[in-house]
Amino acid sequence: MATELAKVTINGKLFEVPKGARLIDVCREKGFDIPSFCYYADLALQASCRMCLVRIEKMPKLQTSCTITVTDGMVVTTQSEEIEKAQRGMTEFLLANHPLDCPVCDRGGECELQEMTFDWGGLEERFTEQKNYYAERYLSPMVANDPQRCILCKRCTRVCDEWMGEEAIEAGGRGSHTVIGTYLGWLDCSQCGNCIEVCPTGTLLDATYRHQTRPWELAQNISTCNYCSDGCQMSIGSRAGEVRRVVARDRYVNGINGEFLCVKGRFGHPFINHEDRIRTPMIRYKKGGKLIPATWDEAIRHVATRLDEIAEQHGRDAIGVVGSPRLTNESLYVLRRFATELVGTNNYTTTDLHSLQSFFEHLGAPLATHRDIRYAKTIVLIGGDPSELQPLTGKQIRQAVRNGGAQLVLVNSVPIRLREQTALFVHVNPGTEEAVLLALADPANDSLAADKAGVDAQQLAAARQMIKATDGDVVVMFDAALSADAQVVAAQLATVFGGEGRRLLLHPLPLFNNSVGAHDMGLMDRHLSPYQMLDMAGDTIRAMYVAGSFLPEHLEQGSDGLAKLDFLVVQELFENATTAAADVVLPAASYAEVDGTFTNNSGLVQRVRQAIPPLHQSKADWMIVDQLAQELGLDFGYQLSPSAVFRDIAKNVAAYSGMTYPALKDESKPVQARYAAGAAGADSTAALRSRVEALAGNGEKITVTPDVGEELFRLGMLTEKVPQFRLLASGNPRPETTAVSPLYQITVTREQANGHG
Amino acid sequence: MRIEAIGCEPLQLRRVHLENSRSIDVYRRNGGYEALKKVLDGMSPDDVINEVKKSALRGRGGAGFPTGMKWSFVPKDSPKPKYVVCNADESEPGTFKDRYLMERDPHMLLEGMLIAAYALNAKTNYIYTRGEYRYLIDIMDVALEEARAAGLLGNNILGSNFSCEIYTHTGAGAYICGEETALLSSLEGLRGHPRMKPPFPAVSGLYACPTVVNNVETLTAVPDIIKMGGEAYQKLGTEKSGGTKLWSVSGHVNQPGVYELPMGYDDMEKFIMEDCGGILGGKQLKAVIPGGSSVYIMRADQIIGKDVRMDYEGLVAAGSSVGSGGFIVMDETVDVFESTKNLTEFYKHESCGWCTPCREGTDWLVKVFKRIDNGGGRPEDAQLMLDLCDNIEGKSFCPLGDAAAWPIQSAIKRFPEDFKKRLATDNTDGHGPDRSP
Repeated sequence: MATELAKVTINGKLFEVPKGARLIDVCREKGFDIPSFCYYADLALQASCRMCLVRIEKMPKLQTSCTITVTDGMVVTTQSEEIEKAQRGMTEFLLANHPLDCPVCDRGGECELQEMTFDWGGLEERFTEQKNYYAERYLSPMVANDPQRCILCKRCTRVCDEWMGEEAIEAGGRGSHTVIGTYLGWLDCSQCGNCIEVCPTGTLLDATYRHQTRPWELAQNISTCNYCSDGCQMSIGSRAGEVRRVVARDRYVNGINGEFLCVKGRFGHPFINHEDRIRTPMIRYKKGGKLIPATWDEAIRHVATRLDEIAEQHGRDAIGVVGSPRLTNESLYVLRRFATELVGTNNYTTTDLHSLQSFFEHLGAPLATHRDIRYAKTIVLIGGDPSELQPLTGKQIRQAVRNGGAQLVLVNSVPIRLREQTALFVHVNPGTEEAVLLALADPANDSLAADKAGVDAQQLAAARQMIKATDGDVVVMFDAALSADAQVVAAQLATVFGGEGRRLLLHPLPLFNNSVGAHDMGLMDRHLSPYQMLDMAGDTIRAMYVAGSFLPEHLEQGSDGLAKLDFLVVQELFENATTAAADVVLPAASYAEVDGTFTNNSGLVQRVRQAIPPLHQSKADWMIVDQLAQELGLDFGYQLSPSAVFRDIAKNVAAYSGMTYPALKDESKPVQARYAAGAAGADSTAALRSRVEALAGNGEKITVTPDVGEELFRLGMLTEKVPQFRLLASGNPRPETTAVSPLYQITVTREQANGHG
Repeated sequence: MRIEAIGCEPLQLRRVHLENSRSIDVYRRNGGYEALKKVLDGMSPDDVINEVKKSALRGRGGAGFPTGMKWSFVPKDSPKPKYVVCNADESEPGTFKDRYLMERDPHMLLEGMLIAAYALNAKTNYIYTRGEYRYLIDIMDVALEEARAAGLLGNNILGSNFSCEIYTHTGAGAYICGEETALLSSLEGLRGHPRMKPPFPAVSGLYACPTVVNNVETLTAVPDIIKMGGEAYQKLGTEKSGGTKLWSVSGHVNQPGVYELPMGYDDMEKFIMEDCGGILGGKQLKAVIPGGSSVYIMRADQIIGKDVRMDYEGLVAAGSSVGSGGFIVMDETVDVFESTKNLTEFYKHESCGWCTPCREGTDWLVKVFKRIDNGGGRPEDAQLMLDLCDNIEGKSFCPLGDAAAWPIQSAIKRFPEDFKKRLATDNTDGHGPDRSP
């Protein structure tokens, strides 16, 4: 598609730029810097800060370059005495009521108002009057607020509305007494903290980081988030071996998420330096006894001896190897090599709740990146709740609809929050999303699907019609909880909907940061579920090696296999139900302490970088396995170098071939794994059809939209270590006064918080 | 309080003195709804717009934009509904003409709106009244009921196939909501903030649909234009601004009130000294703000003996403008520093806070005024205030920034003596009084 060009003269130089481009962007791209506060890429135009004024020939007044689109023959001046005076005047106005308390402001040193004042402001301060005063306060356990510092650019209210769809903060009052605030005085939202991120001043502040350090004292390391499968890029700020804060501010990071992070990514880091971290290796010398601290050498020798004994006694398949989908690709890869090459067992898997193995085996279309989602024209979301479980995906969908005019087809049994953005909501009976997927793939199944899902068959036809009428990208997203049969059908949808001018992209929604990597590293290729693993434990499996832990769901619903094992080794950060059954516990390093890679739900392989040295005696998971392998007589030859592991991955995992750490260096140019096109089944829908036929399909419709935080605030092993999350999990109560951090006023124990959730 | 037409036959003020003037019967007995009938009996929407264009009617709210042209900007082929919104927010200080029109002749406004709605094919229309005019809503609602009962509102008006509804709506008392885009935001239930132009309301206004926003006095002029024809109406005034204009006269005159003058009334001095009965108590004229508080203040010597013509061009030539016609007369006892401080406090209070220069500039200016008032004036303050005004003027989001700057700029330039005497303090180091606690 050829874009029409317009000739525009900027400061006497002629340029050819796409017609309709935004003038401020054009000027900046061509090297003429223009200051701005309220102009913010991909947010609604505001034109209120009046910093970006330029002179355009034939226009009566100075014009805000953020609101002007380029037309042919436009003559623009961005620098002149008149413009400089206006810029100095605006900076002076902005500083008039802004307290000059930079030395005690958390934002001092990375404040846009400071920068703008140095770059564009005047030298002299003429304002000698009393400044308007407002007291500092807390808006939530996560967000602190100093209203005086606000310059009313309203980026915060716009991200809250446009990105998050929550509209939790808004301006109140009028004129110079306008103050950004909340409804009812307490911030009732998903606590993503994006308002803090985009704030150009120290008005909205990270309450967990308040007065901890100055920003320039932090070592900033770009890494990948370790919570959900979206894989947001972020900057881990640490000082003296302690992680102090996490931001996505794009002057440091320019990843897929821009400046977006969710509550977990931004505030979920305090587990890293938590006092409960396992400090040393520990051995339980006899069942029912205590875990006794040991040296690494002792522990590794002990594990090696016991595994040898068990393999000799019961055979190699009596040893099970389990990896967590939270570990790096490097750790999972070494773990799989350990399982297959050294131990020689067929019994290995991950502790993911869902497997995407069948999806990848039949993959028939490219995976959608988050950018693809933002610019998609039609989005089909089958099951899941990205706003809660993959928040970046949720935000991209919302923006695609609100700012990009995309159509969202929502197939869900629950009226999730994204329903507000839907063009078509197929409200199915609980557990019958797969029926609609079947109908999408083959209209012959309409009446069956409509019957089981409890929807009008016309809706199914309408959904297909919307996809087929799309000019542009169609992204089909689906919950990883869908059955293997359904995943096969989803993977093959391109054969139904691909067409001229239309690209069908797929976007699975697994739960964990490296669910996709765990598949790529081959840990799921035995199609073994964690439940099957637990069932075998104590029976055919006598010993188990677990990097990470089984999830509470596994242990609650599965059989009590762990207790029946002869020998259990667990690598973990914290003691939990799995380590309680372990004979040897080995202290693992968190993601902030290791180098490696995670693969996100778009198949992007992104770097994890060491921000702080491993705490206490902990080690990267793969290094522990590597050390054990050496003890057992096999040297993988990695010599403690994660890049050596990754080179090995690139050599042996086809989708990763050619990748190296240097190639993954730039987070703004993420590298997507090249998955092989999977084979289509003879009739891929047949298996799904029989599954759908077996569905009960008469459940009562769920009509209640879940509260914000239903999933986000649910305490997990990591978030339960963060006191703020306990407050959120127990309903984010408003403290007696907002002048003091709620953390100092309300104590919520783990049990209380769990009880509420 | 005098309400009278001078130099012309009363058009807008034709019925205001009649008993029961707000009832539909009195209105109809005195020529009311004849224009609507004429329109429905055989004029096409384009005919109506053409007549309005020919009348050279300019918006009476303050900006003076040609009404016919504004109407013709509405895209006829747009599939969206169109709206006519009457701006009855009348929030410009010194202006009170719309209030009298609505209070005493509400049906004239309804007739004007109905004709506008017919011309623009608008089915739903709103009268947006400022919060302080609550009682006018009641009057308008009674008038609407009367009109509905008489078949002048609703479906098939006067038996034609033209159907139309008018609703009243009240703001919460904000100056900014008199700005047309902020008015539309407020009408939609949002915060009263101005919106970006373009798109102009004629293309994307209320609920992003084509919308015409007209002042009360603009709409009440429409029935007469239709009745007498656009050309005849224009001839009452000047070539570029036709018809008559209401002036809300307040301040130090013997007979304040609402006066209807033909556009181009020949002498402002005569108007003050004779028509309005001269200066109260026989004092000397000092200053006049002729068009509502947002226009340049005029010195007496810009008026006396200068034959200032009272129309758009005449007042611009004399160094001010017509604005909304809020004519504020000040005698020699007025300290222009004080009056300007008062106005600036108004603008600060009413700044909506959307854009930096208006929000921070007016706040700062008030602080400077207060400091000077408390004896802390510095010689450089006049220059500081002018510079602050310059940083507001032409740089704000909506015209209200300019409106806040102009009165101060003109006051400092035209009445330097009132400022100078406050700025010459005993504190000669140029830093004002000691501000240490």
